[in-house]
Amino acid sequence: MITTSTLVTVKERGWRMGFANILRNENLEWWGDRRWLKKACLWLLIVNGFVVINLFVLPAVMLPDEDVVSMMDPVSEGIRALFQLGATALAIGTIIMAQGEVIGERQTGITEWILSKPVARPAYFLSKVVAHSIGIFVIMIGLQSAVAYGLLWFANGDPLPLLPFLLGVGGLILHTFFYLTLTLMLGVFARTRGLVLGVAMGSLFAGMLLSSLISQLGLITPWSLPNILPILALQIPDPLATVLTPILMTAIWSIVFIVAALWKFARLEF
Amino acid sequence: MTNTNGFVIETQGLSKSYNGVDALKSLNLQVPKNSIFGFLGPNGSGKSTTIKLLLGLIHPTGGSGTVFGYDTVRKSPEIRTRVGYLAQDQRFYGHMTARETLRFAAGFFYTGPKVEIENRIDETLELVDLTGKADRHVQGFSGGERQRLGIAQAQINYPDLLIMDEPAASLDPQGRYDVLMVMERLRKYSTIFFSTHILDDVQKVSDTVAILNHGELVALAPIEELLAGSGNVVYSIVTKGNDDWAQARLSDLSWVTDVNRSGVNGWTRWQVIVDDEEAAEAELLRSVLSDSEIMVSEFGRKKFELEEIFLNIVKESNHDNN
Repeated sequence: MITTSTLVTVKERGWRMGFANILRNENLEWWGDRRWLKKACLWLLIVNGFVVINLFVLPAVMLPDEDVVSMMDPVSEGIRALFQLGATALAIGTIIMAQGEVIGERQTGITEWILSKPVARPAYFLSKVVAHSIGIFVIMIGLQSAVAYGLLWFANGDPLPLLPFLLGVGGLILHTFFYLTLTLMLGVFARTRGLVLGVAMGSLFAGMLLSSLISQLGLITPWSLPNILPILALQIPDPLATVLTPILMTAIWSIVFIVAALWKFARLEF
Repeated sequence: MTNTNGFVIETQGLSKSYNGVDALKSLNLQVPKNSIFGFLGPNGSGKSTTIKLLLGLIHPTGGSGTVFGYDTVRKSPEIRTRVGYLAQDQRFYGHMTARETLRFAAGFFYTGPKVEIENRIDETLELVDLTGKADRHVQGFSGGERQRLGIAQAQINYPDLLIMDEPAASLDPQGRYDVLMVMERLRKYSTIFFSTHILDDVQKVSDTVAILNHGELVALAPIEELLAGSGNVVYSIVTKGNDDWAQARLSDLSWVTDVNRSGVNGWTRWQVIVDDEEAAEAELLRSVLSDSEIMVSEFGRKKFELEEIFLNIVKESNHDNN
């Protein structure tokens, strides 16, 4: 190689080759301009919109009916909105956002171009997982959870116990991560965007339906998490094991998706 | 392990098949260092398949290949640290500008200093005449501009080996000329391996040529050797006048194996095939001129055009396959 300058060459080797550069590029997609602010505002409206409605709007609207009001604790309903409706909305948003990430670049030839550079195949896939995880967790979950905690504090008069709430947020992150890894993995296996979107969305909605019909499914999938997380966020259940299995299984599924995607991606031809 | 035998690319029985259909059949190739290696073949002959195998973008079904002595399957990312690649169909992020595209490409090779990387990007943009469009989004680029950006990103890392798949296919004559000039300039630093169907380009810049047909290597030789033709030596003569006697005389010569004549506007073009070049040099012209009724306006050993050679080789190969 003829180099007449003092350019410093990349030192990454093995599976990390190209990781930092692709990650930097993916992060730029999230943070490079003001689009992150728009996304944050949009998710503020969606996630905390549910929370605000349940904390302040519904109680005001339903005041005349004392029986209903007595059944509904606004704070509990706010938490339910954040962790149940929010979890579903975040999963849908993540699937929509990630559905074209891998398959889109495969179809347009961008992946071929990138892989013609000194890039290890695992680095390509993992950089996408990491960059989108950071973007989603910060903008769509972290920020929204912080705002929601403030709203719940305001509505409750006192701060909610932090640890259970953080465990709930952790579960929300895991639930979203499951759909992120599932969608990215499908982008590696599938040949069309429609298939990626269909299977990921199908998993979300059919899963919710199936787990209500077959309760055991809720133990080995993330499908019961939207129902479990509000309980976890209000008070750590005793024993913790009752919620631990679906959380653990969701983490395991996410890892399985990543491993399967890496296995398949190493065998793809461009 | 790096190579020490002067070949940048070597393949041994490299093969690729898709669902039982052979795209590349047992390719044995050696590409000398600092050569401009033209890789020819009709559409679907296996040129792009070979290139993708060398880059590790697809996996061989048989045989092996090395680039700089590194195995193309096991050390593919390491090989690509020293390679620049121009794909047949250039695809970049449409939302990026040309400068951002090159910055992204440079990021795979260099970590800094930032100012040096920016200097390299400016230098490369200038080389392909895209300085004025450096900050325009790539999605608005024409085919030619996209191709030039492709060339720029392929050499951002000062590659030891530049692999180009149909580099001039979508360019106008000026663009094609520019690409050939860039290749000429890079010759002293890099080995250039390029596939094309524009035979004129190959003839202008290549020093070694390989011809693929139906996934098989049917010719591999230095360009001069290929242009000299295979087998018998052919002399071309243009004459005017009554040449019946001359034909009879030439046909009688022991070292003349065939004589063909074709007439155009009163002139006759002869193709005299000989098997003794020395005798032909000494006696052929004299034999023709010994006929006082004939006038000779051209005489010389026939120079083949690459197109002629290419078509003959492909035709013979097709005939053999049938």
